[in-house]
Amino acid sequence: MQKQDEELVNVTINGKEITAPSSLSTIQALWHAGYPRVKSVGCLEGVCGSCRIMVRRKESDQVTMALGCQTLIEEGMQVNFLVFPTPTHHTYDLKMINSSWEVQGRFHKIFPEADHCRHCGGCNRSCPKGIEVERGVALASKGRFREAGELFIECVMCNFCMTACPEMIAPNHVGLFSRRVTAYFHTRPGNLISRLETLRKGDLDVEK
Amino acid sequence: MSKNNQGTAYKEALNKYCALEDIAAAKETLTPEVLLKQFHPDYFPNSIINLKVGANKGEACHGQLAAMLQSDARIDESDLAGAPILETDILVIGGGGAGCAAALMAAEAGARVTLATKLRLGDSNTVMAEGGIQASIEQGDTPQMHFDDTIKAGHHFSDKELVAEMVMDAPEVIRWLIQQGMQFDLDKYGDLLTRRAGGTSAARVVYYRDYTGLEMMRVLREAVLNSNIEIIDYSPAVELLANESGHCAGAVLSSLKDCSYNLVRAKSVIVATGGIGRMHINQFPTSNHFGATADGLVLAYRLGAKLRDLDSFQYHPSGLSHPQHMAGHLITEGVRSAGAYMLNANGERFVDELKTRDHVSSAILRECVEGRGITTPDGAIGVWLDTPGLELREPGMLALRFPKLIELGKKSGIDPLKVPPLIYPTLHYQNGGVVIDPNGLSSVKGLYCVGEVSGGIHGKNRIMGNALLEIISFGRRAGEHAAANCHGVKHKKISIEHLSDLRRELTQANMPMDLQGPLLFPECAKFENDSDYDGLHKNR
Amino acid sequence: MQPLNRVLLHKDCRVGPDLTAWRSTIGGKALKIALEDPSALIPLIKDAGLRGLGGSGFPSYKKWEFLAAKKMAMEKYLICNGNEDEPGTFKDRVLLEETPFQVIEGATICALASKINQIIFYINPDQTESLKSMRAALEQWLASDLYTEVKKVIPRLKYRVHASSGHYIGGEETAAIESVEGKFPFPRGKPPFPADFGVFGHPTLVNNMETLSNVSHIVRNGAEWYKNLGLGDAAGTKIYSLSGDVLQPGFYELPMGTPLSELINTYGKGMLLGKKLKAVFTGGPSNTILTPKDIDVPLDFDSVLKRRSHLGTGAMIVVSEGTSIVKRVAEYVSFFAASSCGQCPPCKTGTYYVAQLLNNIDTGQGSQADLDSLINLCKILPGSGRCHLVDGAVNVLDSSLYHFMDEYRHAIKAR
Repeated sequence: MQKQDEELVNVTINGKEITAPSSLSTIQALWHAGYPRVKSVGCLEGVCGSCRIMVRRKESDQVTMALGCQTLIEEGMQVNFLVFPTPTHHTYDLKMINSSWEVQGRFHKIFPEADHCRHCGGCNRSCPKGIEVERGVALASKGRFREAGELFIECVMCNFCMTACPEMIAPNHVGLFSRRVTAYFHTRPGNLISRLETLRKGDLDVEK
Repeated sequence: MSKNNQGTAYKEALNKYCALEDIAAAKETLTPEVLLKQFHPDYFPNSIINLKVGANKGEACHGQLAAMLQSDARIDESDLAGAPILETDILVIGGGGAGCAAALMAAEAGARVTLATKLRLGDSNTVMAEGGIQASIEQGDTPQMHFDDTIKAGHHFSDKELVAEMVMDAPEVIRWLIQQGMQFDLDKYGDLLTRRAGGTSAARVVYYRDYTGLEMMRVLREAVLNSNIEIIDYSPAVELLANESGHCAGAVLSSLKDCSYNLVRAKSVIVATGGIGRMHINQFPTSNHFGATADGLVLAYRLGAKLRDLDSFQYHPSGLSHPQHMAGHLITEGVRSAGAYMLNANGERFVDELKTRDHVSSAILRECVEGRGITTPDGAIGVWLDTPGLELREPGMLALRFPKLIELGKKSGIDPLKVPPLIYPTLHYQNGGVVIDPNGLSSVKGLYCVGEVSGGIHGKNRIMGNALLEIISFGRRAGEHAAANCHGVKHKKISIEHLSDLRRELTQANMPMDLQGPLLFPECAKFENDSDYDGLHKNR
Repeated sequence: MQPLNRVLLHKDCRVGPDLTAWRSTIGGKALKIALEDPSALIPLIKDAGLRGLGGSGFPSYKKWEFLAAKKMAMEKYLICNGNEDEPGTFKDRVLLEETPFQVIEGATICALASKINQIIFYINPDQTESLKSMRAALEQWLASDLYTEVKKVIPRLKYRVHASSGHYIGGEETAAIESVEGKFPFPRGKPPFPADFGVFGHPTLVNNMETLSNVSHIVRNGAEWYKNLGLGDAAGTKIYSLSGDVLQPGFYELPMGTPLSELINTYGKGMLLGKKLKAVFTGGPSNTILTPKDIDVPLDFDSVLKRRSHLGTGAMIVVSEGTSIVKRVAEYVSFFAASSCGQCPPCKTGTYYVAQLLNNIDTGQGSQADLDSLINLCKILPGSGRCHLVDGAVNVLDSSLYHFMDEYRHAIKAR
């Protein structure tokens, strides 16, 4: 169902040569050409972080990291899907932190590497969402968790930055930690608490 | 889908379009019942048939879904030879919001929990949800009102007991989510902001930007990863196991990593496999993620679970219709809650934008069928979602509260602040599903079904924000109940013998046995041809 | 049988930080000759055909010329690169430990030739003996009359021993410059080249320790002598680092162009436990593989290149029958993944992913798609980083695919 004059382009995906309309994403292009693709497919909307790819554009030395479902194919593009597990090695339970006074101290125990960022910028360059990852880690290291968390609103936990980090910081998990402690310790909505109280006292009920 | 519809060509319609601060409301000529009957896809002629086998024999079901429910199994005894066995207390199938909530509650109660997912943990419909989650927390709102809204929107088909429990759970659900580390949009006093869902009497949807699902899912997934829940990913369930009395006793998982089958024996199973969008019911595009292929529904039905409302699906009004490669992508109802209008090719409003989804979708379909839609050269059709008009009335609000919409604009090359997106209904949600009790238990002992795969809560139509509420409310209930009741559960013999019963029934009813289910992956992914997965395909 | 340890590792050189002992034989004589006519030095090095022995094989006189041409520069740097961190290479440390004056004299002559006033000995901190030896030697040098003589020609001459960060990447020349500046050794993009913009922006020359060690001998004995040391068209000697499945691994200084078979069988005393030779990783893990059919290759830059391989640092890692090439390459690529500085995601993530694929294939969990991915990555990754680390990883991978595709195919079928 495409226009007669829709541009067709030639790309190489995972070693396969494919010709497909330029309006398709890398995943759609594979399917269009009849190739199976199951792993590395998820929401197809750019929020689940499953479809990691490396992209090299024609006549360029640059290789960039991107999300496959959000990347449209271009003439001469080379694509490789990256399917790899990245185990988390920073375990924590929010309940372990007794009060918001303790968060920064605990943070350094949970993420001891965060202080050793070598400022290589690799995390920033590998983020498909353009997040200022390195800055987020620096803020968290200084205890500015709310601010740090704000930088990671768009984070889809694709784990690109985690793989790109030579100091093993797991920056996206630092970002998520920052967001979680902000909610856990500081979100205390009056309207919600008031309603919870009312319900606790049994003052409201539902007639079926 | 729309090749036969006449309409105004895109360029022409866009030239005619003009963002105005105010446009007169629509004058409705048809009653809601008539509008639905004439235009809603649930009533497309010849799309519904009666099931011939199983617990719902003789009842109405959409033809495409019926074919899957009455399909043959993918495996038989020979596939299980040499399959390693894993023992656990509770097996959760599905790693979305409901699955994670269930697993977390069960683990907290001290049970040994195994969570199996088809693809990557977190890949789900939950992660894509935008609008928010309902809870009656504002001064003028009550659980009774929430209850009434839900029942009314579902056309009085809902299971009243389930809805009552859910609306009473709601505030506690929000607190639980906050305690997992989930953020919500707050006003300057720290109160939760709320927006109104279509067809409801009060503003009670709490949200995080238009990323509520992403925020929820990444927090829950992190909580699961940091717990002692055992995660088996890239392992779709292809069949459930039953014990000698038909009690659900585990599942057969197929591993996409090493192409083998694994048996998981559990005291009870919580199925949280989500929806059916990627079956493209009635050939509609879908907003759903890649894994939404009704797997859990098929597996539960085979074990004898009773289902309901299999003829009712929700089509979300604001699915992107153009450009082609993004067809079906969702724009949250929240945008309409915030005040955006919908316009036909003549620039007129044609329906109250905040009616329930089935009503609004039917209205859009009517405009398109009756020639007042906008058509594109590549065969798509739709109506305008007037976001530029909203930007005129409330400058800057869209960019602040709807970052996902702005991102969508960048990806599609259509800036929603200047150009109205073209929208068309998209297959969004399975209203029905497995019949459950307030603990999430199905009619099969030991089998819990929670989330979109279960039915009864939304009747024939769901309101925005009730899905995210349902998954956490019932996910938690099932996790807690399963953990509390798993001690003392003893299975003597665990097998897939129920498949023989299925095959006998199909044969005796003269059903074709060439289709094998569950579907697992949409056709376009060519899973059945993928040599990477030799050994897992439908064998004959 | 070729003459062993005749020049750089001659006993007269291996006196450690003992200035008196060194001067009693050959010590200082080259410097005196150089001081007579510094302008003749570069033509001499050119004629002799000295090439970069840290792996590049680049004609050394050219680098010296670049620096000599910078007549207006206020400061000029010579970094003597002793980072030596690559698996399988261990030749520079013996020079630093046992022949520190040979290094110092060679560096000083280079400084005379190119009018360099800052000499930095850049040494891996893991080599504690090297550091000790060089520091002790330098102390004596600075108190000697040789230094006084040189200072007459280069009044602002300074020497420094700088312990590197210990990171593998610190061996790359622009990374070395960053390290000398006190920063993390992140490679810089080239251009600008070190000769134009080096340490703190000043013209800089980076030479390997072995390269510099040859200088004093060339000055004393002349270009013809140096050329005749090598076999065939090759010039000089080379310290080969032999390791792996041989009976006697170690470093061996031999004429440039000694056949690989001789290195392994005569000096290495043949294969360990009499196993058959399967492959040799020539030049170390960031280069290419040679198989038994090329065992006769003369080990000089040009001859090895003819066999589609690289001499590199002269490291030869010998692998015997029974070793899994897939696993070995996985190990090397994992080393690169761990050593990547992080600046360039294609390098860090690319090498990590390649290592994952290789491990999957080696453990019988790989598929044809994984193999296709590997082949595809060999095309996508080269040139994608600021330095050549990722290229080195791709080299060894590509080479293994070329020579041992059957082994890969077999590992996949085994699933």
